[in-house]
Amino acid sequence: MRERFIDAYDPFVIPYMIGYVFVLAYLVVALVTVVKNLPVSDRKKMFRHLFSYKIFITIKDIVADCLLHVKIWKKNRLLGYMHSSIAFGWFMLIVVGHIEIFFFAPHRINLPYYPIFFRYFMMETETTVGGSVFFFLMDFFLLVVLSGIALAMIKRIRRRFFGMRRTTRLKWNDQLGMYALWCIFPLRFLAESFTSHISGGGFLTRGFGMVFDWFNQFMNNDALIRPTWWAYSIALMVFFLTLPWSRFTHILSEALLIYMRNAGIRETSKNNGYAGVEIFSCSRCGLCLDPCQMVSAASLRQMASVEFTRNTRLGQKKKALDAASYCLMCNRCVQACPVGVNSVQLKLNLKGSELKYAYPHRYDYVEAADASSANASVWTSILQEGERTAPVSSESEEKPEVVYFAGCMSHLTPRIEQSMERIFEAAGVRYTFLDKDGGICCGRPSMLSGDRAGSEQLVAKNTEAVLATGAKNLVCSCPICYKIFKDTYKLEGVRVLHHTEYLLQLLESGRITVRKSSLRGVYHDPCELGRHSGIYQQPRDVLYRLLNLHATPYEEKDALCCGHGIASDMPYKKRRMIAKDALQKMTGRPTDVLVTACPSCKRAFAEIGSTRIKDIAEIVCEQLVDPLRTERNGR
Amino acid sequence: MEDVIAIIGGGPAGMEAALSLAGRGHKVYLVEKSDALGGHLARWDRLFPRQDPAQDILDELKAKVAEADDRIEVVSGVRPQSLKRRMRGLELMLSDQRLLQVDAVLVTCGFELFRAERKEEYGYGIYENVLTSADLETRFKEKKVLCSDGKPPRKVAFVHCVGSRDEKVDHTYCSKVCCVTAVKQACEVKELYPEAEVFNLYMDLRMFDRYFEQMYHKAQSHYGVHFVRGRLSEVSETVEGKLQLKTEDTLLGRPMKLTVDMLVLMVGMQACQGTEELAEKLDLKISASDHFLETKDLFLRGNQAHSKGIFLAGACTGPKSLPETLQDARSAAESIHRYLTD
Repeated sequence: MRERFIDAYDPFVIPYMIGYVFVLAYLVVALVTVVKNLPVSDRKKMFRHLFSYKIFITIKDIVADCLLHVKIWKKNRLLGYMHSSIAFGWFMLIVVGHIEIFFFAPHRINLPYYPIFFRYFMMETETTVGGSVFFFLMDFFLLVVLSGIALAMIKRIRRRFFGMRRTTRLKWNDQLGMYALWCIFPLRFLAESFTSHISGGGFLTRGFGMVFDWFNQFMNNDALIRPTWWAYSIALMVFFLTLPWSRFTHILSEALLIYMRNAGIRETSKNNGYAGVEIFSCSRCGLCLDPCQMVSAASLRQMASVEFTRNTRLGQKKKALDAASYCLMCNRCVQACPVGVNSVQLKLNLKGSELKYAYPHRYDYVEAADASSANASVWTSILQEGERTAPVSSESEEKPEVVYFAGCMSHLTPRIEQSMERIFEAAGVRYTFLDKDGGICCGRPSMLSGDRAGSEQLVAKNTEAVLATGAKNLVCSCPICYKIFKDTYKLEGVRVLHHTEYLLQLLESGRITVRKSSLRGVYHDPCELGRHSGIYQQPRDVLYRLLNLHATPYEEKDALCCGHGIASDMPYKKRRMIAKDALQKMTGRPTDVLVTACPSCKRAFAEIGSTRIKDIAEIVCEQLVDPLRTERNGR
Repeated sequence: MEDVIAIIGGGPAGMEAALSLAGRGHKVYLVEKSDALGGHLARWDRLFPRQDPAQDILDELKAKVAEADDRIEVVSGVRPQSLKRRMRGLELMLSDQRLLQVDAVLVTCGFELFRAERKEEYGYGIYENVLTSADLETRFKEKKVLCSDGKPPRKVAFVHCVGSRDEKVDHTYCSKVCCVTAVKQACEVKELYPEAEVFNLYMDLRMFDRYFEQMYHKAQSHYGVHFVRGRLSEVSETVEGKLQLKTEDTLLGRPMKLTVDMLVLMVGMQACQGTEELAEKLDLKISASDHFLETKDLFLRGNQAHSKGIFLAGACTGPKSLPETLQDARSAAESIHRYLTD
């Protein structure tokens, strides 16, 4: 091997160098911006992580996720191969290319374009074993990348081939980047093949080069060589120049995201710093599209998470906010994301910074009310003399065992409350029904709308009310309330339970007994209880004792959303489309009853009217073996 | 030659149209799915705006239909099965496999009441003292309206727009007759129990027709019925077994609690469950917004369906009061007559 040109330069390296310098500059600016936006504590974490042993884990993760794309492999093998062949293949071409320089032209290692255009600048003088190994390796990885590019093209034309119903639609910036990427490697292959009678080559480039040589004997010139290298260089430049505005930014930011995540940095309530890196790490792979029911059942493709991240990135605030306001926050997209972008949190942050409905002091009235009767003072009561509404606790001087918080959605489904009260009575539980007579909101709806301050006001008031009861267990009927009581409230010495957990406790301790019915049922995991709180097994353990539970393809983490997320702006027509579609999917087999554990889901599905919908508490109450049970309501 | 018309639905619209067509010399088959003619009218006690007994009107209609038995043949207990177009006219197959050779078909399949159970927060089917307006009408017929404990109610609330103008139940339209029915029933409760306090919780009162506004004024000035502008939010039961309503007085701008002995839900009208099936069989169009049947237009072809020889009348094309239904039936008969004699 020896060099062909003394000056080691040709004008076609200029486009490549423009792109190269641009990307380097962009990298520096982006990194500085990200670090600048981080809180000081997070900056320290980033710095410390560099010198801790955990850096090896980070390197492993970066290799696994950014190069090999292990997570995509797990979700879809063909898609995994496509991503890893391009990413890993390209990476290996760069690595092996540099080693090659080190072997054959070590004095040129300082020229950044030299490994890229190596075959043009070098010529083969004699065949050596070492040279053949490099030729083979380089051709092998080029073939790997080319196979990935071929798959990428097929994916654009026939996504069904990949088992995907939908893939992302690309705008001009993504298209430009993508077409440039598609061109780079075929052009490199052609350029190297055309040059292979001078530079030598492996099985691929030399093989094709020989076919080309045969043609060349008629033309007898090498007119195609330099234009092809020019085209290759220009394709690289275009790809690099569009990088900051295209989805391929993820190539750079995903590694940074993994680093930051492993350093212990998390989303804050603002979409900069870590969250900003998340937004740029979305590769628009489209794996979140099929799970999103807004897309699959309500024709709201523009509201999908992948479009939200894109619009956020491009500064299209209005579109991004629309997507955030429509989102049901079911977390199915987060579950599907191979990069781990928590788009639901990002949407929440955006809603928080662009509050649509909240106004200051909106919940000030709760301060005026006393803790025990919550918001009594805001009600205008038309009560006659001597007429009293229900007392809040069962008559006892002792502290109650349980404080029951039904929540506003359960007030709208009184059968759930009624069932819970009967179960408490049957089990002989001393309980206080905290919000029987009004009560104030748990604060999660305002939190999910982005109104943190308002939510905190409600949380503070309810904390006071719960602690005042002196009970050791707080039982919630609504998973929405449960989630905030569990995660956000600071209730010292109080166990927060959803009624599914509590009912299982009662059954296991023998405080209530039930008989099994012959009903065929399916269980619907509410988003807030399942994906958001991880309560999957308890409701099933309860239901196995009550009916013949059969499984659907939509269990646990794969559960569908009922379409009635509490803080969504989606019109009812669209919500109904989602509910109907979900119900149809879950009741594919003959089903007597669909059981859920959330009043909101119950209402959503009951509206469709095709199947009997019951809350788990209603089923327990119906199947209760209770000698003292009084048939108060026959209907 | 005698023209033959099949009328599907033996409610007031079907009967009135049958009489009009028979009077013009046509032969009519009056097809009714249940065993008796009369539809919803048979369930009602008295009719707004002047408290006429529903039974009198129904009896008169039935007597006239029976009288015209040479021209009107009542086919009860059956439904239409299929419709085929023949060289001349139509061939209607019934569920008892009977074939009717007809020249025109008039659909008067009417409406269905909104199922109040769908609004679980209002407690229908959960609390015994929550009734629908139709349940109350049945009790009026029995001349006693009592609570589940057997005592007359001291406090009664009527909730307007249950299943009407409610996006959540996919009924964005107004059912037209519930406002005035609520006023009528509120006055009737006061007539039965002058001591009782009666509240009407309304969104806005649509007193559109002749005499309605007078009824509304009389309800306040003569009967002392309270009208509160606000929609009901939820109902719960107190320890005494009373019903506690949570609502808002939107004129005062305050949330409000109201404890009553009895709650009456003014259920709206919706298209019958079988409408979709019928539309498929007879090639009719259904409105995407309210699911009622669609006429060719709302003006000069207000009784014509989209396919030839098929006509529509009554509440199957949207909520109507009884007088409107009867007028619509007569106008449909006129349209059919013109179609057959042209």
